Amino acid sequence: MLTMRRSAFISCVALAAISVSLNAQEMTLPLKANSVRFAAIGDMGNGGKEQYAVAGQMLAYRAKFPFEFVLMLGDNLIGGKDPIDYQNKFELPYKALLDAGVKFYAVFGNHDISNERFYKLFNMNGQQYYTYKKSNVRFFALDSNYMTPQQLAWLEKELQNSGSDWKICYLHHPLYSSGSFHGSSVELRLLLEPLFIKYGVQVVFAGHEHIYERVKPQNGIIYFTEGASGELRKGNLTKTNLTAAGYDQDRTFMLVEIAGDELYFQTISRVGLTVDSGVIQRAAKITGAASWPTVRPGHGGLRGRTVAKAIGVGLTRAPTAAE
Amino acid sequence: MKRRIQVTRLLLWLSFFAFVAPGFAAQARAPQGSEEARDLKDFTDRVRVYVKMQKALEASLPTLKPTKDPAQIVEYQQALARKIVDARRDAHQGDIFTHEAAERFRKIIRKSFQGSEGRRLRRTIQQDTPFKVVPMHVNDVFPDDTPVTTTPPTLMLKLPELPPELAYRFVGRDLALKDSKAGLIVDLIPKAIP
Repeated sequence: MLTMRRSAFISCVALAAISVSLNAQEMTLPLKANSVRFAAIGDMGNGGKEQYAVAGQMLAYRAKFPFEFVLMLGDNLIGGKDPIDYQNKFELPYKALLDAGVKFYAVFGNHDISNERFYKLFNMNGQQYYTYKKSNVRFFALDSNYMTPQQLAWLEKELQNSGSDWKICYLHHPLYSSGSFHGSSVELRLLLEPLFIKYGVQVVFAGHEHIYERVKPQNGIIYFTEGASGELRKGNLTKTNLTAAGYDQDRTFMLVEIAGDELYFQTISRVGLTVDSGVIQRAAKITGAASWPTVRPGHGGLRGRTVAKAIGVGLTRAPTAAE
Repeated sequence: MKRRIQVTRLLLWLSFFAFVAPGFAAQARAPQGSEEARDLKDFTDRVRVYVKMQKALEASLPTLKPTKDPAQIVEYQQALARKIVDARRDAHQGDIFTHEAAERFRKIIRKSFQGSEGRRLRRTIQQDTPFKVVPMHVNDVFPDDTPVTTTPPTLMLKLPELPPELAYRFVGRDLALKDSKAGLIVDLIPKAIP
């Protein structure tokens, strides 16, 4: 029975990948030599057919953009946590990616349990929060369910010691969000944002709100919410002063490429449409001050008119750090 | 003669301020401070005893290392929970959060839950489980399919630090002490949030 279900799931993913690959996929990322390439997904682990469709789309895009790892922004296993859940909500949907050697680096969401840190394929190595480096980029994976004084002290020490050009934090709860279900996590922001500013974090990824949103730079930091890679709250993105771009009409995932001082991003829907893209320019380091980035919007795809239609806001011009 | 009496009075006053008055002042602060410190120290001592027991029981199980087999993780959690529940068959609410400690916690929480700070904390806790509140008891397994609430980080700065084996978790208005590895409710303070 299990074997049949398993093969049916794999067929589903394969079919999704094939059907998608037949469509023209827009690629806005430059594929520069020696760049750091990754994907980001959040709130995906429900085992639903949409999660599988997003996984299929990721696989199809990987043929054009060979990303090496994936940030998991929490709610990795929604609902049950039995072995079958690990299989249906993670191993099967991402099987082709896992088989291709793609690594997944998870953080906890509010639907996760702390023992998931012992699951090898989440690459948490038994830790609730951890850090790793890819080329000139240092990633900080945080546990936003339980931000202890110990974790804050650890983060400060790690940020301080990091000499990487790019410092990227990711956690489940967004510090800034226009989602109308949860909104911004102000409590976390009070403690984390000063550290992010002080030590020059340029980009923060979060999930929790089941939408996609790119927030206008806040104190020079770019915040993304990608919480719709399995779950979705359609129409839940309310335009606020924070919103630079967003999408709440379908499931999405992100592709990111970092090359030198530039971070390129492309957000893609379940059916393969680009709903946002752009490039973040890392500012030159100034001694004693954070290196604040700026954003330029990308081109093509749905970004702009369709996104504007979906949430009442779009990119008509490049947001700047001053925003 | 009169002058000698004045000098003696002055010396007596000086000695009062030098030796007696500080004592009074210290005593005026001491009961509250030292009793609070004593109650919270008692709590952390009990936490230490629990963790020691948990580690001893854990040592009797095969070490849990990162594994690709989720069954190992689930079985480990269940086995550890069984051992702890067995060892704490007679555990009651209040064994770790003693009456005195619980009152100290309530006082800290009550103070934090006032005004705009209180609204922010309430919102932080409620945002993850706005509708579903599961009644909890000591030695219950925290249900895996129930989302956890974010423990407000600014509040945690005011509570006694816990070792990584344990965590503070709000469930509705109750504050639970949760064993992170076994997934058990170790103790709780009902209606900790005003």
